This record gives sequence, structure tokens and C-alpha cells, in this order.
Amino acid sequence: MNPLHRREFVRRLGLSAASLPFLLGLPSLGLAAPARPRQRLIVMFSPNGTIPAAYWPDELGAQFKLKEILAPLAAYQDRLLILRGLSNKVRGDGDGHMRGMSCLLTGIELFPGNIQGGSDSPAGWASGISIDQEIKDFFQSRPETRTRFGSLEFGVGVTDRADPWTRMSYAGPNRPVAPISDPYQMYQKLYGQLKDKEDLRSVLDAVRDDLKKVGKLISVEDRRLLAEHEALVRQMENEIAAAGTQKLRAAPPVLETGIADQNDNVPRLSRMQIDLLVNSFVNDMVRVATLQFTKSVGMAKMNWLDITDGHHTLSHEPDKNEAAVAKLTKINTWFCGELRYLVDKLARTPEPGAPGTMLDNTLIIWTNELGKGNSHTLDNLPFVLVGGGWGFRMGRSLDFQKTAHNRLHLALAHGAGHRLETFGKAALCEGGPLNLA
Amino acid sequence: MKSAFHSILAHLALGGALGLALGSVGADGAERPANGAAVYRQACLKCHGKAGEGVKDKYQDALQGDWSLDRLTHYIEKKMPEDDPGKCVGPNAEAVARYIYGAFYSREARARRHPVRVELTHLTNRQYVQSVADLLGQFNEPGTAPVRRMGGLQAVYYASRNTQRSEVTVERVDAQVNFDFGTNAPAGGAVPTNGFAIHWRGAVRADETGEYEFSLQTPNGVRLWVNDETTPLIDGSVASGTDNEPRATLRLIGGRAYPLRLELVKVPYNFKAPKNPNSAIVLQWKPPHGARQVIPARNLSPETAKPTFVVAAPFPADDSSAGYERGAGVSKAWDEATTRAAGEVAAYVVKHLDRLARTRSADADRAAKVTTFCGEFAAAAFRRPLTPEQNKGFITAPLAGAPKLEDGVRRVVLLALKSPRFLYPGWDAGKPDDFTVAERLAVELWDSLPDAELRQAAARGALHEPAAVAAQARRMLADARTRTKLQYFLQQWLQMNRVEDLSKDPLLYPGFTPELIADLRVSLNLFLEDVVWNGASDYRRLLFDRELFVNGRMARFYGYEFPPAAATNDFVKVAADPARCSGVVTHPYLLTEFSYAKSSSPIHRGVFLTRNIVGRSLKPPPMAQVFKDADFDPNLTMREKVAALTRPAACQACHSVINPLGFSLEQYDAVGRFHAREGGRVIDAGVDYPQEDGSVVRFQGPRAVAEFAAGSADAQTVFIEQLFHQLVQQSVAAYGPDVLDRLRQNFLASGCHVQNLVVEITTLAARQGYPSTTAVKKQL
Repeated sequence: MNPLHRREFVRRLGLSAASLPFLLGLPSLGLAAPARPRQRLIVMFSPNGTIPAAYWPDELGAQFKLKEILAPLAAYQDRLLILRGLSNKVRGDGDGHMRGMSCLLTGIELFPGNIQGGSDSPAGWASGISIDQEIKDFFQSRPETRTRFGSLEFGVGVTDRADPWTRMSYAGPNRPVAPISDPYQMYQKLYGQLKDKEDLRSVLDAVRDDLKKVGKLISVEDRRLLAEHEALVRQMENEIAAAGTQKLRAAPPVLETGIADQNDNVPRLSRMQIDLLVNSFVNDMVRVATLQFTKSVGMAKMNWLDITDGHHTLSHEPDKNEAAVAKLTKINTWFCGELRYLVDKLARTPEPGAPGTMLDNTLIIWTNELGKGNSHTLDNLPFVLVGGGWGFRMGRSLDFQKTAHNRLHLALAHGAGHRLETFGKAALCEGGPLNLA
Repeated sequence: MKSAFHSILAHLALGGALGLALGSVGADGAERPANGAAVYRQACLKCHGKAGEGVKDKYQDALQGDWSLDRLTHYIEKKMPEDDPGKCVGPNAEAVARYIYGAFYSREARARRHPVRVELTHLTNRQYVQSVADLLGQFNEPGTAPVRRMGGLQAVYYASRNTQRSEVTVERVDAQVNFDFGTNAPAGGAVPTNGFAIHWRGAVRADETGEYEFSLQTPNGVRLWVNDETTPLIDGSVASGTDNEPRATLRLIGGRAYPLRLELVKVPYNFKAPKNPNSAIVLQWKPPHGARQVIPARNLSPETAKPTFVVAAPFPADDSSAGYERGAGVSKAWDEATTRAAGEVAAYVVKHLDRLARTRSADADRAAKVTTFCGEFAAAAFRRPLTPEQNKGFITAPLAGAPKLEDGVRRVVLLALKSPRFLYPGWDAGKPDDFTVAERLAVELWDSLPDAELRQAAARGALHEPAAVAAQARRMLADARTRTKLQYFLQQWLQMNRVEDLSKDPLLYPGFTPELIADLRVSLNLFLEDVVWNGASDYRRLLFDRELFVNGRMARFYGYEFPPAAATNDFVKVAADPARCSGVVTHPYLLTEFSYAKSSSPIHRGVFLTRNIVGRSLKPPPMAQVFKDADFDPNLTMREKVAALTRPAACQACHSVINPLGFSLEQYDAVGRFHAREGGRVIDAGVDYPQEDGSVVRFQGPRAVAEFAAGSADAQTVFIEQLFHQLVQQSVAAYGPDVLDRLRQNFLASGCHVQNLVVEITTLAARQGYPSTTAVKKQL
């Protein structure tokens, strides 16, 4: 059996032990227009490097032509910011994949540890917070940007293990945040309260009847106690009814049932997670999210693309293996297609209580832990930004020529109004935030 | 009371002279017997009220207590009325005393005036948590045998990171997990080249209910599972930085064993640039009321245990206004807590539905099996079979009304656990039947639900006769839950849960560490358990046994002989000096608890001994007084300081009793160590104790006090009454005016056998209101 201890319950039931009164206190959902436009951030990750030749546009500036991998985003070219020349310059313990992954959003060294990669010295977790969590904490610290969850970490086929290859979000040093790969678990986290409330509401009437029935069978003196008890149940009924008048802006998405967390289900799992993500944004439960496809060294077998090799194995093939290059291009293009699905959804959803669409106020960063799979380089990390609302001038292709990626994180913090001096390893922040305006 | 009249002296004066003929002489000149009621009206009512209830700004306390009629008479003759003592004597004093005694003063009079009844009460928090645990436990691996053998975990050592059978080097029981292997092979022999692994399996037993913080100290990769076989409590598979002590907290119910699994993996030493070539592991916990320590062997078992469901929802504290926890009254917070807890159970049941209902997701008859499970679940929660009508209301209707089977199950669980039939155990609609008897027994002895045997006995109608009920109670004694409940009672009796911080001034008491304090508690718990669960189960041993459980640390600090063969954190029973050791009375845990940080506290010790050991009641102090050591001449002994502080007559009403009892322990310092001298002066442990009847007994030290208490009817009565209240959660007065006395007589006849007393109390309370001839089935 699998008894749930406290943390588990809180997680699975979506209830915080401190969240009182019971099942009430859902966020107020008649969303008024915010004083400042909402800002949202999504970091989407796919692993094992890209195929640079099929990825980076040849041109810089506002006039550029998308290559094969980014082609699915053609309709949004004016909303893109393609950032070439950013390097993960964090050194120290851990192999390229580990540092690629766990320093990607943290920009700081890994602790020494016991996890041994295929090369370099063993390492542990990152020694600092990641930028998504930093911005989440900043949003949560202010009433006007605070949301119920602050951030949500979505996974797709991540596999159930915890090591520096599988974690990119960190709540702090040595505090990796596990993505939730099971959409049903995520659904429970987001909407479990509603479900519980509905079930509770359906039985309270019967509970009151039962109290009355038992009350008739016992002595007059004791009946008073049950009458008080019944009054409390009635009170709970009323409170639930009152809370029920608060409507969600968007009903929970209807999920296909019985989709197991398995390799071949990745395309369907991906769409379910993206639906949940956008839904949680519409209901303003959260403004920061990560969407992590598999993991660094991920071995997804993309049978749905007629590719039967494991992704990581393929990524080690030399450039001259044209078949492998073609497959890897296809794989990365598929990821971009999932990004397109997300962007489309946001672009079709009006911003609640404000003009424009949700995409106008949402910045998506698609990234990868390596510049290129077979060299394990941490230079020219794929960074494509889509959307708006962060004060960046979109519709451009830029090259920063081996600039530390910490400076992008600083730019994100500043874009959120969080004016950090440095982020991650301070020495890598020289020059301050990238100027993307 | 014992002191109501004392304090009259202290702080009030009866206005006006008592210039009245209290007896009367009739017209014929013959003396008529004094009329007690008339005397009372004339002389006492003004200050004491119509029925002794007290008068504001005069004498406020109610006139009630447990002095004998003689003593009461004697007191009135000597001291009343306060402003003119000696006015009410002879037949007048006798008459008014008889009137007061019979009208409202005595226990019997009070019971007559305010009849106490068995009240409807809901499950206490402890009962709720245990009931839910056992309710689900009934469907979860019901065949698993309880853990019996303690003493360590089963360990398997592998000569490689790969944990294949062929790599096993050693299998053994490790008493604790506390190893520093350095760069050596963990189980001897050559250092393995491909790293190594160690797996420990077994069970961990929680002594007390509460939050347990588990922690691991290791530079290696480790994972720890406790009470959950799928999700690790601590996932330290990534060792990272200097944060080598991952920890996590888990709520556990005392007296139960939980499955525990621990896996360590050491990566190869010879890997490139090893940061830490060492391996080591320490498995520690911080139990409730305890200090962080290596989990001792006595809490570890190599046997397997089944997991237990532990409710996480916090409940508001139980009503303790009557001196014991009971489920009196309902509040919004309580109703919400029961709802949250029911929600937890519902989520758990739905998640594990197939296993609980013994079905599989693809079974054609799954819905039928789930429906059967729902019926069994509700019957177990209600502690009796469902009537067809109940089956419809509690099972069929919610299942039919829900969009999906799982939703229906959730509703069944919510409905069952929100029902008064679950929440209010033992209610009887005026007609208790065998199921009522069974559920009361289970609550009284286990704080939980009837087990299969008890349910079957009820179904057979085999709980008619007192002997049959007592036989069940006796069988149930052997269960760990009874031990837990009794242990909790003893802790309440000894007030062991009142003070959380027992630490002392570290300059005055160096070495009196949190670890040592935790040891003292274990030592006292072991002693209590040893006495009660020994064949003789003799209450008197609690008071003056001369044996003590000590471990190495305690032995060193207190100067006990410790067997050299024993491991230093094992507890062994040692014989202590009978002149210095007298059961719980001199146990260092209690002596420490009833002390100040820098000195003993004769007042705290005296009050404890008065109320809980000697069994006399005390009124609240008439004025607040704080003991401030700095106010006194430093050359005075503590005894002299306290005597001076409590010298006022208002204090002496109670302190004439409290002080001598407290002073009898003055040879024990603030940490319970024996010391013959204080500041160079020999400590006087001889005291004069005034008995109820005014006579004085000389006690020389605590053993004399304990022996006096063991033979005292008051002391026995207090013990029995407190035990009754803890077991039954009802006032003993509701079971008849003579119940306490009858219980005490039988207790004495059995050689003060605590287990027998438990059986007698629970049998009596379980059968309350049971029809003597035929069983009546509840008609609901």
C-alpha cells in the first residue's frame, strides 16, 4: 500500500494544510482589469542540443529567414526574438549535460556530489535558485502579482528519477523542483478542490438527514449536541454554495482519460499539459511556468515520427551522418510544433479583462541544455523568445557572440521589474542585463 | 476540597456577632435537638450562600470536599464563625455539620444534587486518527502479522553498486544504522572496485504519537522510505555539496510499527577526481518529546510491517476542562477538520480502490466488488452491519448519483465519515446491544474500532454476559493499542506532557543535555511499561519500586552502575539504593520537570505529590505568588525560602500539606540528582505531614511518602478515577455513586492489579445500560 504522508496529501489534494476555510478560498475569479498589464513567463525545454545549420537564421536584424526547425513559427516571425551567441559559461563539477541542464536557468555552479556523468568530476545539485523561481518569488512577494500557485512545473515524459540531468528549476541551492509529468496529477492539483467541493456538496444534505435521524433516537439532553452539529453542517453547505457563485473564467479542460505516462503517449501528453497550462493562465492561478520535454540525455523514441532510435544516442552521431542529422532536425522541428501549438492557443485567447490576447502578455523561452549534441558545447545555446509584454523588441535575430547567458536572466528579471544587480554567478554578469529593448 | 474552611480563616470575616440561640429551648423547658438547617440559615448562609455555593465578595468558593463528617464538625467547632470562633459548638456544630455534609458538601450529596449522566461524546482526536488508521488497515494487507521482534534492521551488503544476488557479501541484522566506513569496505574484505550498496529493511516503531523528523548523515547517495513503499520520504540519491543531512518529517501514531527501507549507494572510489572517497551513514530521528538521536535498536525491527494511514488534517484540541480529554461539544473548526480528514481518506480510497476492493481495473465485476467494499467500509465505520435502508442511503444512492464509480466511492466515504454513526461511538438510543458493547470496548481499550474477533462476537450475540465481555477485554489487553492507551494514561497521571522544555541552567548543571532529557523520558516510559505489563501489574510498585532503567549516558550522569557488557545507548534495569529510589516519586524525569531551571521547586513537587500521588485535592491559590530566588537571603536553604514565602495564613491552608510533601524531596536537585547538602548545610528531608483528621505523620524522605500513599484510600481513589476517565471519557459519577468504592475494594483484593482494574472498568462501562436479560437490537 502507499499511505500518503502529509506532504503527499497536500500535493495530491491540492490543499495546503494552512488553507482555510476548507475547500473555500478559491481565487476570486471575476478577473478585473489589472492596474498593470499581467506579465507571464514560460520556459520550454527540449534536450540534447539542436542542429545549428537547420536552426539559426543566416541573417541578423529584423529581416531574417526561418530555417527548417523554426519554420513552424513562421506565422509569428514578428513576435520572435532569436538569441544566438549566448553561452553557459558555468564551469566546475559535472559533465556537459549536467551543467547544461542544472546551470541553464541557475547560471551558477553545481555542488560537488556523487552523481557521475560520462566525463568530468561527479556533482550534485545546483548551488543557486533558477530564474523562473526567482521571478516567481518576486511576483509572489507583491499582492498585485501574487497568484494561487506562483509557478507550475509541467513535464512531458521526464521519467521518474531525480538527478542533475532531470532538473532545471531550483527553489534555491540544493532545492530542485520536480516537474509534474502526469497531467491527471496536475489536473488534481489545479482543480481537485472543485471536485472535492462538488462531492462534498452532494453528501452534506444526507449528512444532515442522518444527524436528524440519529438525534431522534437519543436522549433530549444529547440531542442538543447533534443539533449544534447539524447547524455547522448547514453552515458549511451555505459557504460552499456562496463560494460556488464564484465562477472559473475557463472551465477545466476535459482530458482524455487513461493516457499513461509512457513514451508513445508523449504527443498526447504534451497537448494535455499545454491545455492545462493555458487554462491555469486564463484562470490566473499562476504566471510563471516551465514545460520540460523529457530531460537532458533524454532517450525518447519518437516512433510517431518513424524514428526508432533513442534521442540522446542519435544526438551523438557525427555531422557527416546525414540520416541522423535529418532525424534530429525532424525531432527538433517536432518540438517546435508543440511550441507552435502553445503559441497558437495563447494567441487565440483574449487577455482576461484587458485588450489584446494572452500572447501579448506572455513571454515564452524555448531553450536546450546544449548548443549541439555531438560536441556537448555550451556555446550558442538555443534561445528563442516568443510573445510579448516584457519590454523586449521582438521580430529580430541577434548574435551576442559568446556572452554569458546569465545576462539574459538578468534581462528577464529587469523585464519583470525586479532590478537585480547579478544573477547566478556574479562574475558572469559583467555588463548587466542584455539590452533587448 | 479539604481547604475551603481553612481559607475562610484566611480571608474573610463573618460580619455581626452570633448572638442567637442556636439550639433552642421549647416552651416546656425541654431542650430540642438543634436544627442544622436553621443553624446554617442563621449563621452560615450569609457568606456561604443558600446551598453552600458561595457568595461574591464574602466566601466565594463552594462548600464541597471530602473531609469526614467528624472532621467537618471539629473544624466548625474550632474555627467557625470566623470572626467569633467557639460560638458554634456541641450539638449545634454537630447539627450544622451534618446538614452541610448531607445537603451539598459530600460527594454523595453533590451527585444527588447534580446527577451526572453518560453524555454523548464524539471521537477524541486520538480516537479519530486511530479509528481511521484501523478502518483502512482492515482492508490493507489484512493478513500481515504484527511486528514482534525488535532489535535492529535486516541488512544486505553488496560488493558492487549493482544489487544482484551474486554481489551479496554479508546479510545480518544491524542494531542501528550508525557507520563510518571511511575508505574501507563496509563489511570487511577487499575494497570493491565498482562501489558498493547496502540495503536495510524492516520496521520502525513509534513510541508516542506525533511528528517524527527523520534525518540521514552521509556523503553517499541514499534513499529512505518510511510508511510508504513507493515514494521515498527522503530522496538523497544525489549527494550535493555540504548539505549531507537531508531530513523530512512524518506524523506517526504511537505504539505502531511502520515499514522502513533504506538504501545506500557508494560510487567507485577510483573514479576520476573523487571529491569524497569516504562512506558513512547515520540514520537518526527526533521523536516527539525527544532529542535528535540515532534510531535505537529497541525501535527497529528486522520484520516487515504494513503501512498505516495517518490522517494529516489538524484537529482543534480536545476539551480537557474535566481533567481528561473527551469529545464534548462541537465547533466549526472541528467540523471542518472532520471534513478535511474525510476528504483525505476519500482520496486515499479512490487512489487505492482496486487493492482495497480486491479487484482489478479490467475486471468485469469491478463495480459489484467496489459496491461490496463500500458496504464493508461503512459497516466497519459504523461498527455494526447496515440495515437494508441504511445500505440504500449510505451506499446505493451515492454510488448511483455520481457521474463515475470513483466519484461515487468518494461520496460514500465522505458520507460515512461525516455520519454521527462514525463520529459518536457508543451511543445507544437507550438500547445498547452487543454491537454497542463491542464498540465501547474498542474505544475504551484501543481508542479505535472493534477488530474482527470482537465484531464476530457481537454478531453471534456473544457479548451478553459480563464474563464474556471481561474475557474479550482481557484478550484485548495483549494488543499494542491497549499498551499505548495505558501508557498515555500514565503519562497524563504523571503530568509528563505538560512541560515541553526541561532544560536547566547549563552552568549549574553541565552535561544535562537534550539527549539526556530524552533518555530520562524513555527511562520513565520503560519503567511504567515494565510495572504495568509485568504479571503482578502492581500499582504499588509504581510508587516505591527501587529499580530504574538507565542507559550509559544516564548512568554516567547520575552515578549508577552500568553493566560493562551493555551497549551505552541500551537501557538496562538496575537496582538503585532503596534509601534514595522510590518508583516514580524519585524518578529524575519528574524531579526535573517539577523544578526550576536553577533549583528544585518544593512547591511544584509538593503540589504534584498532593494531587496525583497522595490524592488530596487543592484549591487554587488565593493570591498569586511568584517565587523569586533573588528576594531571599542566599544563605537560606530552599526549604527555608519556601517556608518563608508561604508563611501567611492564607497560604498555609494548602501549603501546610504541599510543603512537607515537597520538602521530602529536597535531597534531589533540579535534575533529580541526590545531594545530601545544600550550600554546605545538611539537607533535612524529615517532614511532618498533617493528615485529614488533623493528626501528624512523620516522613523521612520520599519512600515514606510513597508507602503512605500506597496504603491511602484517597490515593487509590484518585488513581482509579483518573484511569476510569482516561479509558471511558465519561465521568465515573455517571455510573453510580458507589462505583469508585467498589472498584477500589476489588483493586485492593487483587493486589492492586492495574490490568485487572482496566478489565473491570472497561467491562463495566461497556455494559452500561445493557439490558440484563435479552439483547435488544437497535431499531434504526
